[in-house]
Amino acid sequence: MDCKEAARLLEPYLDGELDRDSVRALEAHVDDCAECQAALANLGRVRHAMRAEAPRYAAPASLRDRIRREAPAPAYAPRTHRMPAWSRLAAACFGAFVAGAAVMHYAAGPGSADARDQVSRDLFASHWRALAAASPVDVVSSDRHTVRPWFAGKVAESPRVTDFADQGFPLVGGRVDYVGAARVPVLVYRHDKHLIDVYVLPADAPAGTMLRRDGYTLIWSTLDGERAAIVSDLDAGELARFESVLAAK
Amino acid sequence: MTAAASSAWVSALAEEHLDAAYNLGRWLLGNEQDAADAVHDAFVRATRSAHTYGGGNARAWWLAIVRNCCLAALKTRRRETPSVAVEAIVDAGVDTAANDVESSAEVEERSRAIERQLRALPVEFREALILREIEDLSYREIADVLDVPIGTVMSRLSRGRALLQKALAPRPPEGDMHGL
Repeated sequence: MDCKEAARLLEPYLDGELDRDSVRALEAHVDDCAECQAALANLGRVRHAMRAEAPRYAAPASLRDRIRREAPAPAYAPRTHRMPAWSRLAAACFGAFVAGAAVMHYAAGPGSADARDQVSRDLFASHWRALAAASPVDVVSSDRHTVRPWFAGKVAESPRVTDFADQGFPLVGGRVDYVGAARVPVLVYRHDKHLIDVYVLPADAPAGTMLRRDGYTLIWSTLDGERAAIVSDLDAGELARFESVLAAK
Repeated sequence: MTAAASSAWVSALAEEHLDAAYNLGRWLLGNEQDAADAVHDAFVRATRSAHTYGGGNARAWWLAIVRNCCLAALKTRRRETPSVAVEAIVDAGVDTAANDVESSAEVEERSRAIERQLRALPVEFREALILREIEDLSYREIADVLDVPIGTVMSRLSRGRALLQKALAPRPPEGDMHGL
């Protein structure tokens, strides 16, 4: 890849809109190119300025009341991902946004809201890319002994791989994906028609509370004492059950 | 969908994405009253035209209606102040030299600066940036809201970021400018 091509891809890369192959090719180029690194850093600064420093205006209570007053009694809601506690969650997200904005001026380390934002964005993007790809896994599991050796040499440390077929979550396989600049192992499970990605994260990865985006949920967990994140479109109850199965191992 | 069901659906949708709608309205129209009125108009319009929703991303459908109401409000508004030319904003520049320790006043000043620069951007760049960076919409969703191809979304984001980057860059010292 040359700089001209890289320059064209930098913004889609930051926006999480690149396919996996292009991400790899771009990262390989940027690793060796000071000019593109500088361009990426400049774009990062603009993004940080907007996300951390530009205000997001919350709807005033008067407007919310006005719309609620005119709304009919809820009867039926087709295909919106409505949660019973959405308003609480939305308030929490906005609170986190404000708190994040306040904190970020002093700490942009791995524990900061900015870092967590980037990581959760990468995790969702990775999950969606995998769903859109021809296959969500790079190695198919015939049994767990095929998956762990496959990771060797591809990531710093191969995760311990367990099949939870007995509990209703059979292991589909594994793949490697990027979270930030780190290559991480991803274990892929299935429940009915839903895919569940388990990302084994570096020790310094940020953690946080549950996040929902477009009907997909991200929860932070642990796997054999390692930091992990789970992304799926399973419903909340089943996902909680999967998380407890995973953490109990 | 029956009429009652569709209007209940619109209410749920509007409530869930009310902050996103209002935020977009504030950035397009500037003040609380106009933004709230435009969002309310959008709600009324969405309720009436729920049957036009043809599937796909419901949030983008709702935000597209909000945006149309904002643009309609902008059009009817008599502009007392002409919009400031982008070049002037670029020239004005803001000193954002990063210090390790910042007082809260400096942080606040930076926040005001970015807000000022964003507001000074032409509206087509501003709305694309707000939807991407603050509302976290994907290219596809932004394309749906703005009713333009994805390629146009990408070029507007890119142009908007370039203008913002230029506007936020620290000004070079006077001497250097003449020395070149």
